[in-house]
Amino acid sequence: MKAVMIIYNLALTEKVEYTLEHFGIRGYTQWDNVEGTGSKTGVPHLGTHTWPEINGVVLTFVEPEKVAPLLEAVRRIDAINEEVGIRAFVWAIEQTV
Amino acid sequence: MSIYSSAVKKPVTTILIFVITMVMGLYSLTQLSVDLYPEIELPFLSVYTSYQGASASDIETNITRPIEDVLSSVTGLKEMTSTSSDNVSVIFLQFEYETNLDEASNDIRSNLSFIENFLPEDAEDPNILKFNSAMMPIVFYAITADESYQGLEKILDEKVVNPLNRIEGVGSVSLSGVPGREIYVDVDPRRMEAYNLTIEQIGNVLRAENINMPSGFLEMGATDYPIRVQGEFQESDIIKDIVVGNYAGNDILLSDVAVVSDTIRESRLISKINGERGMGLFIQKMSGANTVQVCRDAEKELEKLAKDLPQDVKIEKLFDSAEFISGSINNLTETLMYAGIFVILVVLFFLGRWRATFIIILTIPISLVFAFIYLFITGNSINIISLSSLSIAIGMVVDDAIVVLENITKHIERGSSPREAAIYATNEVWLAVIITTLTVVAVFFPLTFVTGLTGVMFSQLGMIVSITIVVSTFAAITLTPTLAARLLKLSPLKKDAPLYTWDGSVHKFLDWMDGFYVKSLNWAIHHKRIIIAIAVIVFAGSMSLLKYVGKEFMPVADESRCTATVELQTGTRVDNTVIVADRIDSLVMATVPEVKLISTNTGNDDSGGFASIFSQGGTHVIQYTFSLVPVSERSRGVEEVAESIRQIMAPMPEIVNYSVSTTDDMNMGGMGGNTVNLEVYGYDITQTNLVAEEMASRIKNIEGAKDIQISRKRSKPELQVVFDHKKLMMHGLTTAQASAMIKNRVDGLTATRLRQAGDEYDVVVRYKESARNSITEIENLGIVTPAGQVIRLGEIADVREAWTPPNIERKRKERIVTVSVTPYKRSLNLIVADIQKELDQVSLPSGVMVEISGAFEDMTESFMDIGLLLVVSLLLVYLVMASQFESLKMPVIIMLSIPFAFSGVAIALFISGESLNLIAGIGAVMLIGIVVKNAIVLVDFINLTRDRSVELYEAVLISGRSRLRPVLMTSLTTILAMLPLAVNPGEGSELWRPMGIAVIGGLVFSTMVTMILVPVGYVLIARRGERDKKHKEAFRDMKFLDDIKE
Repeated sequence: MKAVMIIYNLALTEKVEYTLEHFGIRGYTQWDNVEGTGSKTGVPHLGTHTWPEINGVVLTFVEPEKVAPLLEAVRRIDAINEEVGIRAFVWAIEQTV
Repeated sequence: MSIYSSAVKKPVTTILIFVITMVMGLYSLTQLSVDLYPEIELPFLSVYTSYQGASASDIETNITRPIEDVLSSVTGLKEMTSTSSDNVSVIFLQFEYETNLDEASNDIRSNLSFIENFLPEDAEDPNILKFNSAMMPIVFYAITADESYQGLEKILDEKVVNPLNRIEGVGSVSLSGVPGREIYVDVDPRRMEAYNLTIEQIGNVLRAENINMPSGFLEMGATDYPIRVQGEFQESDIIKDIVVGNYAGNDILLSDVAVVSDTIRESRLISKINGERGMGLFIQKMSGANTVQVCRDAEKELEKLAKDLPQDVKIEKLFDSAEFISGSINNLTETLMYAGIFVILVVLFFLGRWRATFIIILTIPISLVFAFIYLFITGNSINIISLSSLSIAIGMVVDDAIVVLENITKHIERGSSPREAAIYATNEVWLAVIITTLTVVAVFFPLTFVTGLTGVMFSQLGMIVSITIVVSTFAAITLTPTLAARLLKLSPLKKDAPLYTWDGSVHKFLDWMDGFYVKSLNWAIHHKRIIIAIAVIVFAGSMSLLKYVGKEFMPVADESRCTATVELQTGTRVDNTVIVADRIDSLVMATVPEVKLISTNTGNDDSGGFASIFSQGGTHVIQYTFSLVPVSERSRGVEEVAESIRQIMAPMPEIVNYSVSTTDDMNMGGMGGNTVNLEVYGYDITQTNLVAEEMASRIKNIEGAKDIQISRKRSKPELQVVFDHKKLMMHGLTTAQASAMIKNRVDGLTATRLRQAGDEYDVVVRYKESARNSITEIENLGIVTPAGQVIRLGEIADVREAWTPPNIERKRKERIVTVSVTPYKRSLNLIVADIQKELDQVSLPSGVMVEISGAFEDMTESFMDIGLLLVVSLLLVYLVMASQFESLKMPVIIMLSIPFAFSGVAIALFISGESLNLIAGIGAVMLIGIVVKNAIVLVDFINLTRDRSVELYEAVLISGRSRLRPVLMTSLTTILAMLPLAVNPGEGSELWRPMGIAVIGGLVFSTMVTMILVPVGYVLIARRGERDKKHKEAFRDMKFLDDIKE
């Protein structure tokens, strides 16, 4: 099992949800309205008057073979317009209940 | 879930909600009545008391003063004025606006009950009258006839008045100047006395003869017959054959001592229409009825009815308020339409996208429709005030939608799907949109609290604009994203688009304009001192222009009608007055082509009657109504026409006094009144007259002062009969008996009534004319003593000529004479200053006091109101902004643009030659909200850019470039929406033109200033990187972080 955390501009919510559905990923946890800013590029997404954009987060635990297509999808979404902003992070899961 | 995302996710619900409100609004629109002004309950009551036979000064001491004394304690009373004239006392009570008049009249009634017993016995009980703007007649018809003139009253009553009365919404139909039928018995006193008869005896005989009486029952066989005496006159012809007495065994017929004539009533009122004998028919509507509808219905009905009338009866329309109303309303509807078109064009020009433009302009009908629902619910009508308010609002309702849509477009261009963009882009701006709306509401909403007459106009304006703006904001954050999600799609700009497309021309121009602006701004923020200096000079310069701008209270609307009063020497007989009237008629007809119809009333009917409250008349007075051709068919305004009529009257030697007025005195309770009044207080009639005369003659020389009127009419000649009481008593007579006999002989004794076809006509017995036309004849009147002797009036009384004032006016329980001045092409304040100068030169006798009031008083009062309003609005706007920016300094920068809005107003008024008046003043107040909005948009963005850690000057330039278009767009929509209001020349446009001009001037000027001066001010005030400093200050206790090595 791998954990994939996708942090995306809230404007991409529906694209992300559709992607998960497309790959048959049933289990995930989602947070709306989370604040954050990228380490290198992009503007802060803080949901304030100054930085009005805001993020959402999807945390999903998937079989290792699903990670690659998922990351590819994220890359493609990002490619539409890099200003909007979407990132994914993957790490291993040691145990589950 | 937020409102905008629910809206986007449920497009059907959202769209249907708006469709339903549209339907409700359109339904309201069909139900709304159309009127000129909102219906106002004028806060006036008057107490009318008649006391037949009393002179003006008797009335004053016995009726007016006691009543005034008890009424002065009525609650809510603002001012009490009174007029005491022969036979009648009228006390006019003005209350504060919003006083409950029902309560007030109860108060008056109970106060009156205290003194009713102390009033003279013969005086009638005081009546309380209420005024309402619905009481004004809405249509006047002039009716002329040749052969049928004699029987006109009956014909009209049956065939016109009654059917018209049945029309829905008609309150009452009245005729004026009608030739009523009357039967005169003109007695030859010599013959009558020779037969030992008196007027009273003849009257008694007639009364006794003209009688029907049931006289019991007769049982005859199986039948029961009632018996009736049938003595009533069937025809007036019978009267002359009645036996009135017996002399030396012979019957004396009435025809032996008198001439009986069945004719039209003698009247001292002669009505003419275009020089022909005629009469007036006027219709009053019921309160709340639709004026235009009632007028139309009446006109249609009258057309039908006219077919049944005799051929020679002609009915012509003299005045029709529906014409002016529908003219003004159509005009404003047109204005509204043009405003809408201009707004659409502006949006299209800046966006260059049809779909986006469609989404934005859709907010216009939605917001306007809500205004109709509001009007419907509150029972208001469509009137010039509500329509003007709509055309003021129309340019502002698109602003929010523009802001929202702009952001959505930005997101779509960045690659979001329209649906996502709609939600998240709205999320970013909805708060800012609501706050800018709040600032506008902060300016308009206080207008609803204005009281008084101005309040009637402006509370509706304030309410309508507030409602439409709030609704437009609501639509902008629900409907706009919903539609954007459905309709918008990505349409990237083509770089090498041909010139004929928007992308190739306008877009490139706008880009160039952005660049030009940024360059200028860059120069400006590096030359702050020069900019500030220029700003100060421009501001001071423009404010000094205000000195040359005229000031008035209210613009005078051109209602295509003017009225005039012409006075000849007092005591002139009606016949002679009519000759002069005819001459004026023909002169006016010949030299003033704009006049369509002239209606005159010469003399006055039943003096002391009810109507005399409204018209001061006398046999020497001619009252004119001139109907002009519609505004579009003439080049001269009503003021100029009035002036040329004045020119006709001025050189005529018979005319003692004349005045030509372009407004009704009753119109909106004197709201259109524009006169300066000089009030001379003092008890002594001669002294106050002298002062008034002197002031009047001095004022005559003042430039622009026209129609100088002295309210106290000239003393009129009268014959006074003074009884010698000793002689009276010797003959066993009282003054009451003797004076009743004089009245019977001169004025006539109404002996009985002739009943025919359900109508009754008076039979009046009196001396024949030749026996009552000189002082000698009056002295020779036969008075009958209780012993049956006939003595001459000259034996017991003196008949002498005397002069008495016909009316005594009082204000605040003091006698007053008013000298009123109508300004012509000169502003009120200048005339008032000149009058004050003249006044200072006059030395007043002790006990006489002079004050200047009138429209000038109203003007100062309402300018004070506007001043207060201005302060309240400024404060509210400051509060809203201070809380938005969480700063006390930012609002100050933003408010820098406000003074320049006023500069713009001054410049625009100066260039257009309009006066500064109430309407322009309100325009200036409105500007605060509109102007500040622009500055907020700019400053907010500069703040935002600075927050994103951009260097100050850079931030200003970036924000300038980014906000130039939205600011220009919202300003241009407002300016162009106002343009039709400012330039449309049609009916009723005079009223709103000053506002249009003021707003356009102010907005054009302040937009330019906003874009340059506000950034400069920002740079000056926020110069030091205060944000960083504050930040560091807040975390002073975290200094240890510097010690930690990375």
